[in-house]
Order: sequence, then structure tokens, then C-alpha cells
Amino acid sequence: MDTPKIKLDSKTYWMLKKEIKSVLRSRWLLLGFIISPMFAWLFQGAFLSFIVAQTTEEPEAVYITVEDDGAIGPALFDALNASKEQLLIDPLIPVDKDYGQNLVDNKTVSVWVLIPENFTYEYMVNNESTMVMWVNTGNFRATAAAQRVDMFVKQNLQIIVKDVQVNWYTISPEATYGHQLAIFLVMLTSVLAPAPYVSKSFAGERERHTLEALLVVPMSRLKILGSKLVAGLLLTMIYSIFTIVGILSYNLSIILRAAALPAAAEDYYINLYTIDVATLPLIFFCQFLVLLCAIGIGVVISCLAKDQATAESINNLVLLVPTMVIGILGFTGSILQYGGLFGFAILLIPFSHAIMFLNGVLSGVATPTMLIGNVAYLLAFTIAFLIIGAKAFEREAIIA
Amino acid sequence: MLNEVVIKTENLTKIFEEGKKREVVALREVDLEIKRGEVFGLIGPNGAGKTTLIRILVGLLTPTKGKAWVLGKNVEEDIAHIRERVTLLPQEAGIYERLTARENLVYYGGLYGIPEKELNRRADELLEIVKLKEKEHYQVKGFSGGMKRKVLVARALIIQPEIVFMDEPTTGVDTIGARVVRNLLKKLSEEENRTIILTTHDLNEVSELCDRVGILNNGELVAIGKPNELEEKYKAANLEEVFTGLITGEGVYES
Repeated sequence: MDTPKIKLDSKTYWMLKKEIKSVLRSRWLLLGFIISPMFAWLFQGAFLSFIVAQTTEEPEAVYITVEDDGAIGPALFDALNASKEQLLIDPLIPVDKDYGQNLVDNKTVSVWVLIPENFTYEYMVNNESTMVMWVNTGNFRATAAAQRVDMFVKQNLQIIVKDVQVNWYTISPEATYGHQLAIFLVMLTSVLAPAPYVSKSFAGERERHTLEALLVVPMSRLKILGSKLVAGLLLTMIYSIFTIVGILSYNLSIILRAAALPAAAEDYYINLYTIDVATLPLIFFCQFLVLLCAIGIGVVISCLAKDQATAESINNLVLLVPTMVIGILGFTGSILQYGGLFGFAILLIPFSHAIMFLNGVLSGVATPTMLIGNVAYLLAFTIAFLIIGAKAFEREAIIA
Repeated sequence: MLNEVVIKTENLTKIFEEGKKREVVALREVDLEIKRGEVFGLIGPNGAGKTTLIRILVGLLTPTKGKAWVLGKNVEEDIAHIRERVTLLPQEAGIYERLTARENLVYYGGLYGIPEKELNRRADELLEIVKLKEKEHYQVKGFSGGMKRKVLVARALIIQPEIVFMDEPTTGVDTIGARVVRNLLKKLSEEENRTIILTTHDLNEVSELCDRVGILNNGELVAIGKPNELEEKYKAANLEEVFTGLITGEGVYES
């Protein structure tokens, strides 16, 4: 019945203006859109500042077993013992191999250093020797202590023709936190953020019976839907902009926290934890797609739900559950760590691709193909839902 | 263009959930003609099909069978042109509570492409007529039900439509407010030759205001005519007797 073409005529412009005004009048909604991403990143900043403090100021217990029957192993132990304060090791506990193995088996070890029996021999004869460390990488303080031990051993034993290897083993391979916390929080808030606006704009208008009067104006439903979506997009832009502000605040918090550290440590932590500003456009883009996708899903739900409260509840449920699942998976390692049907189901969730995109960008390991693939999936999903939403909005039952 | 038919329906039928367990026949083969400048009242018990008929005529619903024309255009083929020239006052509130009375009027008019300056002039005039000029800058959420209804009436009229569809325009409006609305509708019909189709449960309002009336029951147009003609035809003292008799099947006899 309606002409399915979108042209910005005076009526559409008028409607758009009103929708945008209506969005800007929702002060609490706007406040939420400003606070949520800022909070997520500031929380991440506080979290990593805590880690920096743990890894640079607080000592850790290190267990050590010297099985070496030569001279270098005991000398290394003495050197470590003498530099305990500098290496933030307290206490350095000598244990036998069985005791150390038992700690590993029980997952109660922080750091266990094993200098094997032929350490000196290998070092002298083959110019290469290997020391072994078991580390609880889920414990930031333990990981930092192990790194200091690693560096100390190499500094003391690596001379031009001789090499020493330190083999690391982790007792908790899944615990690699990185930037996952903020990604999780931002993802969670961004998929839920448009829900109040979308629900109010469609199911809410129907519930208040304003939709009926709106649908008899001489504008196609597609234009009405488009105007509402553009206003929704404006909200998402506000959210995305404040995500960028949040990231910059986060970077600043890390820089300020690391400023008190020695120059080498300062550089190390700043490089490790701050987000490369060059990646911000990609993060903005990904955030924008996530919000757009959430709006697309929200429109469909809102057009089908009987009232605003139902629409909001279903929207939250539909978006919250998969986001929690992939957020938790991402937080405890990688969302790609599971295979089979479960792994496939995870990949069907559009927000999984946003997390993969963000992880790839933040860690700097993403290939263009991978990024394009993730964006394409997210975009296809969004377009599909917007089309379904447009169809649902066209139904006559929308006002019934 | 006196006696020009502006609304015509032929065999108009609307069935919801057709072929399903919850099938509801909302309109059954309704034939109707309404002329320009007429005030036409649609009456009937709740669920009789009044709102469905209006919704078909403004293109919100599509007929299951039959045809409908508004201003000479088929509602299924040319609704965009029809909508430029008609307005609907919905049955339920349908007002933007967070906008002021004036903003509600101006916003709605803007959706018809009317220039802002002209909209403001018309809003001044209409708010004066419905006695809301003093409250024009107040958010509607603080208004009483009757005041909201008056804002909606003014909103419907701001586009100066050729046909006004009003679903229970005076429901919830106090006696004086209802009088204001009725006078306004009379003026629109008599002086400006606009066509008004209204549904109501107030039969006095119908007697006073409507040139003709159509009685719907279970989706069927059971009677149509001038109020006094119907009273005569069914040997009734007033329209209420005609209505009650036709709906309950008791107490009226066709002469």
C-alpha cells in the first residue's frame, strides 16, 4: 500500500527532527549512554591499576628446587636469594622435586623454579641449558615474579656463546585476562543500551496509541521506521563517542598509574595495557555495528511484543543471555576455545564476531580477512533483522 | 460539488485471523455512501465494527472482501493521496504526553508538510477554540482526560482535512468541553463543508450533531438514515429506542 522508497522530504525531515528531539529529551537515557561506556573503561583502568600495583610493589612466594649436581645451580640459588628484595620475592622457599610437583598437582603453587640435575653440565658442554618454571598465570603477582626471575637468570647466565632457556608452564591456561573485562562490560551495556529507546519507540507508541495516529499521516511506514532508526542511531553514536572517551580516560589512568614506576617498568606496563589510539576508529566502528545490530533485533521484538514492558523484558533476555555466555567465555580465555555444536552455536551469535573483532584489533593479531569476515557477519545479521523489523512494522496487526 | 459522494463502500468485509480458530468477522458486507459536508454517526455496541470500518477507510487495515473509496480513490490502491486529505482522531488517548499542547498540534501538522508559520497560526486559532490557549505551553501529561481529548480534536483539525474520522471524540470530556467540540464539528460541517464521520456511544450527541446515522451490530450495518427517519421507520420515541431495539431485537417494529 505504501510507496517503498525513502527520500528526505519535508515530512520525513520533520519526523526525524521530532524523533531526535524526543531522544535528546530523555535525559536519563542519555546519561546512561554516557555513563555506561565510561564506567566500563574506568573500571577496567582501576582493575589494571590494581594489577600494576600487585605486580610492581607486592612480593610473591617463589618455590625453588635445585637438583643440579654442578656449581651453577647452587650459585644461581644463592644469587636469587641475595637479590630477593630487588626481585620482590618473599619468601624464596627451597623444596625438593616431589614437594614442588605436589604443589603443581594441587594447583597451589604461585611460582616453582626447577633447576634440573644436569643444568651445569649442559651449560658447560653444550653452551645451552634449560631451567623450568611452573607459574600460576591466573595470578598477576605470580606471573610478574616469574618474569623477574626469568629476566634475572638470563641476565646472569647468558653470555655470548652460552644460552639459557627458561621453559614456562602454566597451571591455569584459561586465565588470560588482557582487555577482556572492558570488552565484556562494554559489549554487555551496548547490546542492552538501545532497548529502552527501541521499546518506547515502537511497542511504547503502540501501547500509548500514538502509533495509530502516526500511521495515518501521508508518509510511508518505511519512512516512519527510518526516522525512528536514525534517531536510534544518533543514540548509538553518543554511546560510541563516549566509549572512545572512556578508552582515552582508561589509557590516561594506566599512564598515570605507571608514572610512579621505574622507566623500564613504566614503558612495559604502558605498552602492555594501553590501547593503541590508531585502533580507535576500528573500535568505534565495531561498537556502532553492535549497537545497530542490537537495534535491529530490538525493532523486531518491539514490533511483535504486545506492550513496552514485554518488549523490554524479551529484548533484555534475548540479548543478555548470549552476551553473558560469550562474555564469560571471552573473559576466561577465548570464545573460540570450544568446538562442536556448542562452538558453532557461539559463532552464530553476532556479538561473538564483535568480540573476535575487538580482540583481534586490541591484541594486534587480526588479519584483514578476519576483520572483514566478522564485520560481514555482523552486518548481514543486522540487515536481516532490519528487514524483518520493517516487515513486522508493515503488518496491520501493529495497531491491532 | 453538492451531493458529491466522498466515502463509498461496497460489500466491505473484514475478517481477522481468517480460517483460524480465533477467526472474527468484524465487518460483514457493508454498503455505505457518505456525502461531502455530512456529519455521519456510526453507532453500535462495543465490538460492532465501528473502529474497524474507520481503520479500513484510513488505510490502517485492508479489507478481506469488498471495496472502499475515499474522495474517489480506492483505499487499497491510492491511500497516500487519501491520507493527505483526511485525518483520524483515534479512540484511545494517542497523545504525546511529554510534548506541550501546542507542540502536539504543530508536530502532527508538520507531518503533513504544512509550513511551520502556517501551523503556528492554525494552532493559535484551534487552541483558542478548544479553550486551551492558556495551557498551550504545558506538557500534556498534566492534563485531565477531557483536556487531552480537546488537544486531540484540535490536532486532528490542524491539517484542515476534507474528511475527519473521529473515534469517540467527546469520551471523557466534561459537558462544557463536549459542547465546545460539538459546536466546532458543526461549524466545520456547515460553514466549511467538511465531512465528519464519528463513532460515539452518546446517542444525544448523534441526534444533535449527525445528519445521518449508521447502526452497526456484529459487523453488519443494520440501519442507516437520518435520526428522525429512523425513529419514524421503527416507530420509536427517540434514537435510543431504535438503537436498543435493533441491537436486542426487542421493542421496535419496522413500519
